[in-house]
Amino acid sequence: MVVVQRRELTFWERMYLPEIVRGLVITFKKMFEPRVTRQYPEQAMPTTEVTRGQPRLAVKDDGNIACVSCGLCEAACPAYAITIDGQETDRFIEREPERFDIDMLRCILCGFCEEACPKEAIFMSNELELANTTREGLVYDMEQLKRSTSTLQPRIDYVRKINDRW
Amino acid sequence: MIDSEKQPEIKRVEITVNGKTVQARTDKPLIHACLQAESEVPHYCYHPGLTPVGSCRICQVEVQQGKMPARVMVACRTPVAAGMVVDTESKGAHDSRKECLEFLLKNHPLDCPICDKAGECTLQDYSFAEGQGEGRSVEPRRKLEKRKDLGDVIMLDQERCILCSRCVRFMEEVPETPQLCVAGRGSHSIIETWNNQPLSGNYQGNLADVCPVGALTLKSFRFKARVWNLTKTASSCGECSRGCSTTVEVLRAGEIVRIRPRHDEEVNKWWMCDTGRFALDHFAEVDRLVGACMPSATRGWDQSPVEDGLQVAADMLMAAEKPLIVASPWLTVEEGTELLTLGRQLNGRVAFVSPAQNELADDLLHTGDPAPNRRGLTDLGFEALSPEEILSAASEHSSILCIGERVASLLGEDGFNSLPSATRVLLFDCALPAPQEGGNSPIDLAIGLATSAERAGHWVNIDGIRRPILQARPAPTGVWNTVRLLQNLLGLLATREIQS
Repeated sequence: MVVVQRRELTFWERMYLPEIVRGLVITFKKMFEPRVTRQYPEQAMPTTEVTRGQPRLAVKDDGNIACVSCGLCEAACPAYAITIDGQETDRFIEREPERFDIDMLRCILCGFCEEACPKEAIFMSNELELANTTREGLVYDMEQLKRSTSTLQPRIDYVRKINDRW
Repeated sequence: MIDSEKQPEIKRVEITVNGKTVQARTDKPLIHACLQAESEVPHYCYHPGLTPVGSCRICQVEVQQGKMPARVMVACRTPVAAGMVVDTESKGAHDSRKECLEFLLKNHPLDCPICDKAGECTLQDYSFAEGQGEGRSVEPRRKLEKRKDLGDVIMLDQERCILCSRCVRFMEEVPETPQLCVAGRGSHSIIETWNNQPLSGNYQGNLADVCPVGALTLKSFRFKARVWNLTKTASSCGECSRGCSTTVEVLRAGEIVRIRPRHDEEVNKWWMCDTGRFALDHFAEVDRLVGACMPSATRGWDQSPVEDGLQVAADMLMAAEKPLIVASPWLTVEEGTELLTLGRQLNGRVAFVSPAQNELADDLLHTGDPAPNRRGLTDLGFEALSPEEILSAASEHSSILCIGERVASLLGEDGFNSLPSATRVLLFDCALPAPQEGGNSPIDLAIGLATSAERAGHWVNIDGIRRPILQARPAPTGVWNTVRLLQNLLGLLATREIQS
């Protein structure tokens, strides 16, 4: 058993009202200071190119997906979130994904896929929100993952800068 | 016919490889002894099953003989001599191999992300292990045809080719149907077929296996899977009585995407025929017989669990006087033993379907006999009956039990329809028989079985060599393997006998 030793209150503290006033002074002072609370869904956190959000697939300017389904992100993924099936195309690079699924419930946003990608095809976007009512709905397929290169450009530039360091 | 070459005696001499003493065969090149001594020597043009030509020059090792100073030489074209001292890891050997690799990679495209060979490519492996990170060449790479169609089986990417000529030698030496050649000279050399004719023959698939890079790839496997995602299981081919040793490669515990030969000196060496390699349809998930099925009053089948189906089967077999038990030649030795026990218990006649010889037989591997375990079942004491003999014998029996993979298709599409309607037909097979109009199906009970990719056992090939088949992937839910099914059926019959 622990006996809690409480401090004896002083005379002024026992008077009660002066302490109330002291507290209200703090309250009123804070009212005129700048606010730090963010009204989240309406005021989202500003993102930068360093923000490591959910992975997205880059679509090149000619409308084709940059991914060649080499499977390196699938192999690098520590959470086994990615599943890729390849197929043949008539384009110069003969291979493209037939299926590209990322299980967002498994994804741990580590960015290994982005690092492993030899084709600048998968990037950690600035998208952070993830909500659905079913588990199946959170397995994103290729169409849900496609983003134009211009959307991802800040991140692409950032990744290039990082990769040039070594 | 693959016979081990008649060699009266194999001469061996003692040599030293990386400080290890080996008894090297004199009829084989030095690289054979190095690999035997478990020293890794990179090699592209050397294949143990083909004549060495020494065209890739990557297998350079340092050899010291007698009082001569150590020299770097290609291990695949150097005959072994007594007292050789070989160093595969010396600086000289490493430097020569590195320079050689740089030249091989000079025109090799950086296709690894889309190349089907990536992951099992030795060029990739050695470049990673010994090569340099970046090329020094400023000239552009050769531009050649990347999608050259070589017939129904093989696709050629000329840019990826390193001109090792394994494919040319394979076609000349193994099926002995020379069709490929190295055309052009020097840096203009390319692999071509004569007059751009498509490849023919039943051994084209091996070209994709012998190719050390991704130049020759299988059309059926093209871009289908990354090789590191495949689960590989050692097994045997069931398309003829040769029973070639194979590796069954399964993608994500589901689809079988590739079957490849596995080195087996006694049976198939390094090769297999295309009939066996592309026999993937038999393992497809469509039209599988799952659980137990009985013909419903209308068109179609009433499904029930296997346990219930076995109760019905036991009742039917108990009622039968002297059933005819027909095994498929795909049954393993273990399953055959169980089936013989069942035959004795039921006092039935036990036979296996012996299909007719097909026209695929050749001098190399294919025996033309589509019964992988003919020898094993015959040795166990099964009677071999042709489909016609079985159907005529079946009309003398009150019930017939057909068991094993493809047994229904072996008996012919209308096989069961030709039987008298009083004959009870029990069919244990992998594929679902076609439903009959109006519920007058000749089959009284059908129970699903696991295919040869989903169960384990042994087959005995035509030469009496016993080889395993192993479970490459799980059977679909509600499908039992044959041994489990037969043992349960035997148990039920024993219980019923005690009760009666």
